[in-house]
Amino acid sequence: MLDNLVIGMAGSGGDGIVSAGETLVAAAATEGYYGIMTKSFGSQIRGGESSCRVRISSGPVLNPGGTLDVAVALNWPDFLKFGAELPVGGNTVVIYEAKSGVTADKIPIVGVTPAEVVAVPFGELAKKMGGTDKAKNTVVLGLLAGWFDVARETLIKNVAKKLAKKGPEVVAAAERAFNAGVAYAAEHPLKSDMRMAPPKDGRGTKILTDGNDMCAAAAIFAGCRFFGGYPITPSTEVMQYLSREIWKYGGAVLQAEDEIAGVGAAVGASFAGVKSMTATSGPGMSLKTEMIGLASIAELPLVVVNVQRGGPSTGMPTKPEQADLFQACFSAHGDGPRPVLAPTTVADTFGMTVEAFNIAEEYQTPVILLSDQEIGQRKEACTPVDTAKYKVVERLRPTPAELEDYTRFRFTDTGVSPVSQPGMLGGNYLAAGIEHNEKGDPTASGAMHGKMNDKRHKKLVPLVHRRDLFHVEGDPAAPLALISWGSTAGVCREALAIARRRGISAKLLVPYLLFPVAEEVYHEFFIGVKAGLVVELSHQGQLYRLLRMYVDVPRGIRSMCRSGAAPYLPEDVVRELRAATLGLQGETAETRQPQE
Amino acid sequence: MTTTRGIDFAHLSLKDALDLAVLVEEEAQERYDEFTHQMKTHDTPEAASFFAFMSRNEKKHGDELRARRLELFGDAPRSVERAMIFDIEAPDYDQARAFMSARQALTAALASETKAHAFFVAALPAIQDPKVKALFAELRDEEIEHQKLVQAELAKLPPSEDLGDAFADEPVAH
Amino acid sequence: MSNALPVVDKKFEPKDFKSDLKPIWCPGCGDFGVLQSLYRALAAIGRPAHEIAFVSGIGCSSRIPGYTTAYGFNTVHGRALPIAQGIKIANPSLLVLCAGGDGDGFSIGGGHVAHAVRRNIDLTYIVMDNQIYGLTKGQLSPTSPRGLKTVTSSLGSLEDPVNPLLYVLGYGASFVAQGTAADLPGLAAIIEEGIRFPGFAFINVQSPCVTYGEDEWQIKEQRARMKSLESLGHDPKDQLHAMDLARAYGKELYTGVFYRNPAPSPTYDQLVLERQKEKGASAPDPARVLDSLIQR
Ligand SMILES: Cc1ncc(C[n+]2csc(CCOP(=O)(O)OP(=O)(O)O)c2C)c(N)n1
Ligand code: SF4
Ligand SMILES: [Mg+2]
Repeated sequence: MLDNLVIGMAGSGGDGIVSAGETLVAAAATEGYYGIMTKSFGSQIRGGESSCRVRISSGPVLNPGGTLDVAVALNWPDFLKFGAELPVGGNTVVIYEAKSGVTADKIPIVGVTPAEVVAVPFGELAKKMGGTDKAKNTVVLGLLAGWFDVARETLIKNVAKKLAKKGPEVVAAAERAFNAGVAYAAEHPLKSDMRMAPPKDGRGTKILTDGNDMCAAAAIFAGCRFFGGYPITPSTEVMQYLSREIWKYGGAVLQAEDEIAGVGAAVGASFAGVKSMTATSGPGMSLKTEMIGLASIAELPLVVVNVQRGGPSTGMPTKPEQADLFQACFSAHGDGPRPVLAPTTVADTFGMTVEAFNIAEEYQTPVILLSDQEIGQRKEACTPVDTAKYKVVERLRPTPAELEDYTRFRFTDTGVSPVSQPGMLGGNYLAAGIEHNEKGDPTASGAMHGKMNDKRHKKLVPLVHRRDLFHVEGDPAAPLALISWGSTAGVCREALAIARRRGISAKLLVPYLLFPVAEEVYHEFFIGVKAGLVVELSHQGQLYRLLRMYVDVPRGIRSMCRSGAAPYLPEDVVRELRAATLGLQGETAETRQPQE
Repeated sequence: MTTTRGIDFAHLSLKDALDLAVLVEEEAQERYDEFTHQMKTHDTPEAASFFAFMSRNEKKHGDELRARRLELFGDAPRSVERAMIFDIEAPDYDQARAFMSARQALTAALASETKAHAFFVAALPAIQDPKVKALFAELRDEEIEHQKLVQAELAKLPPSEDLGDAFADEPVAH
Repeated sequence: MSNALPVVDKKFEPKDFKSDLKPIWCPGCGDFGVLQSLYRALAAIGRPAHEIAFVSGIGCSSRIPGYTTAYGFNTVHGRALPIAQGIKIANPSLLVLCAGGDGDGFSIGGGHVAHAVRRNIDLTYIVMDNQIYGLTKGQLSPTSPRGLKTVTSSLGSLEDPVNPLLYVLGYGASFVAQGTAADLPGLAAIIEEGIRFPGFAFINVQSPCVTYGEDEWQIKEQRARMKSLESLGHDPKDQLHAMDLARAYGKELYTGVFYRNPAPSPTYDQLVLERQKEKGASAPDPARVLDSLIQR
């Protein structure tokens, strides 16, 4: 029985293959499975090629998986357009539409011989049983339920639920199509038994959501009551979620006329004392940078979410990349510091978003949350977040005594000074982009400017000692190291486990806090490290270069990087890791053979 | 630009008239303080000290009037307010210039005194209460005295060219 | 002062809104008068300073919030309106004022004006129009007349100016007025009326730059030219006539209210409150925010 099943499916938009994937992962979650689903599309709004990748697992998962266990091609041209995003290997069962006329030994996949190749007359079955060949996605679901024994009961229930609006006839047709798939599976068993094992924690409750919704929900939890933004893929769902939900909590959403206005309104709301946020992606982020500088000098809490996509410019709006790290850390005019946080999964997007608000409030600073397209838009089935674990921080407000003679930017030991807000009697002050003295009055004094820069930097110092903003795993004494961030970190965590099973001992550091760079944490991690990789999806290897800027990186640490769009697979990292072992003195790849 | 708002001169009581007079002096004093500061900030010290001198004068007049009011009416509530007058004896904002000469500053002050004089002259015919009439006539005449004071100061200045900002640095961009 | 006059039976005096910070505008700048009129208007309105948020962009004129006792926010060039709107939505009970220059409002920030208008958000936007970039030393501004020679148009500009009045009227603004620093009492009255107007109020103020402005724009010249709309018998309810009069921007100096919508649409901030009230009736517990994501 399998603990893990990675299914990749492609077709044209009209085939409803993505909708089938959604139904599948939802049903699996209902039955207690963990899972991840990613989608990928051509550039057409409707009817272009579309694909999805569904990973179902009996235990927690951190990435969408590697080479496919099952490949479903409703038509070959569309399937092939996804290339490396849907990798077929020697263990893959390939299922394709029989109508294509391609014989099983002539499928257009070169370089590998799949474990099994099955042509299925999806369209024909759908037409015969469901009355329309449009129902072929439902036949696919029946087939998958039959062969892999996942969530059969729930699947059929959910298919019916989804179509209920369309009337009982459509529901009945869908049920027949589904059952046709199940029956076909029974009549044509696979050579190897590929049934899923039951979930390890039984039918435990799962939540199913994507990173953008998670981020929005976490923002509400963290007390965010204002959102200002402008639609941009792949971040828009954050605004969409909040525009449905935030009102219930007494908040508001403003769809502004552009990104500048969006973040501007958020800065205004924060000035008015309300926790606020904006969310965007690359091009929008560029427009927001000036306001981030303003929030920095006016010391106003602000959370800016960047759901990264391929860039520069319009780049690849629906594909992930991790190439906005430099921008996040350094798109400041002046010495304007800003903490940068990055989640690695949908599940930990909750904690990181709450953390972003807490840091923003605690230190009265803009905070950038660097998500990416994959985390933002992939669906993840995970155990419900225990919200009781998270505290919510509020900005330091002046006491009545402090309001007697209020000094907005008073120098303090921590660098944090109490902040008032309009409506507070006695707290009146001038917030400004211009450099100011402690009272907030404009100044042109270089000495004062220096002191204020000290203040703005000093208050962030405690952050680099926050060990909880770093995840370390693996063999602490290993001379081989991996560092990775964002969605790629989830790939590396799995790669580390695979490598361990193959006898490669290594350790992994995942920074959730990317900036300011916690030099100490890295120095400690690098003790005894001789070789390793900094793994990320950017052409320049931005994290690697950032570390080289602040940290004494051992010479054996290399950058493993390339442009985004197709995420790394765990196998890619394991391969490089093995190569890196060559860099270890006295050891060669041969001395460390796989033991699996 | 001298303006009043909501003052019914025909029915002005002596108390109100005195209060108004005080407010006029206060307004002028404040404006001269502002001008003094403007001149100090813009490296125009002669005009600054002249405007400071004017401010002290206005304060002196104000104090005298306030004392009279207290004597006659104690702390009876006031029913006229600053919003009713605008620039009666206060020099107009556009009279100030960076690097203005002492002569220009004095000329600006003279214009204000002339303006104030005109205000009282214009108000007088409408006034019915003889005590108020007397007060306004007195104030009007005082303006003449003020004008003389300023003219005397003017006479003390050597006749000079107004150089303005001819030798000053260029303004600074921000 | 021991012999101070007894206080009037009224809550606020203009000086209550005057901060300790001293303006650093050039002596003679029109902005001094605008500030003075604003103090007056605020005293008449009678809201305490701590309930006022005053937002500006960047420019000489944009320094104005610092000279008041209100909560001020001197933001970045051209973005006062978005920030002001965020404040108003976050706390609709505040009196929100917004001010800046002609460059701030109609060049870099021009795109924001239309949207503040169509939201009819309840704030007052005062543009201190001097037809020039003051702070950066006399460059061409979007309201500079065609042909104007400045340091960036040394041979004369090749463009027509934006007409701020028509621009805002064209977007359907419900309150559009013009004042001048040459008539401070009139300006104070207009600002007061703008603040009282329930919705977005736009006030263009001719506030000359003594340092870079042309001679014929100065206070004295304005005083000779200005004509009140009231004296022309204009009815501020007449939108079309308002537009007709507004066309004279740059030629005539009309002061007063061009247009006051007798039946303005509800303000954005009011609608936000209503929606919060309606949707917030269930008042869910934020700790349970993820419940809706549970896969059943
Ligand atoms: C993004 C940006 N671009 C340019 C500037 C420089 N700048 C500051 S104020 C200003 C124009 C000032 O003109 P206006 O808005 O009319 O205000 P005024 O000084 O005339 O009152 C410019 C171009 C800036 N601060 N920020
Ligand atoms: S440069 Fe012009 S606008 Fe700026 S303060 Fe001086 S006079 Fe006023
Ligand atoms: Mg200007």
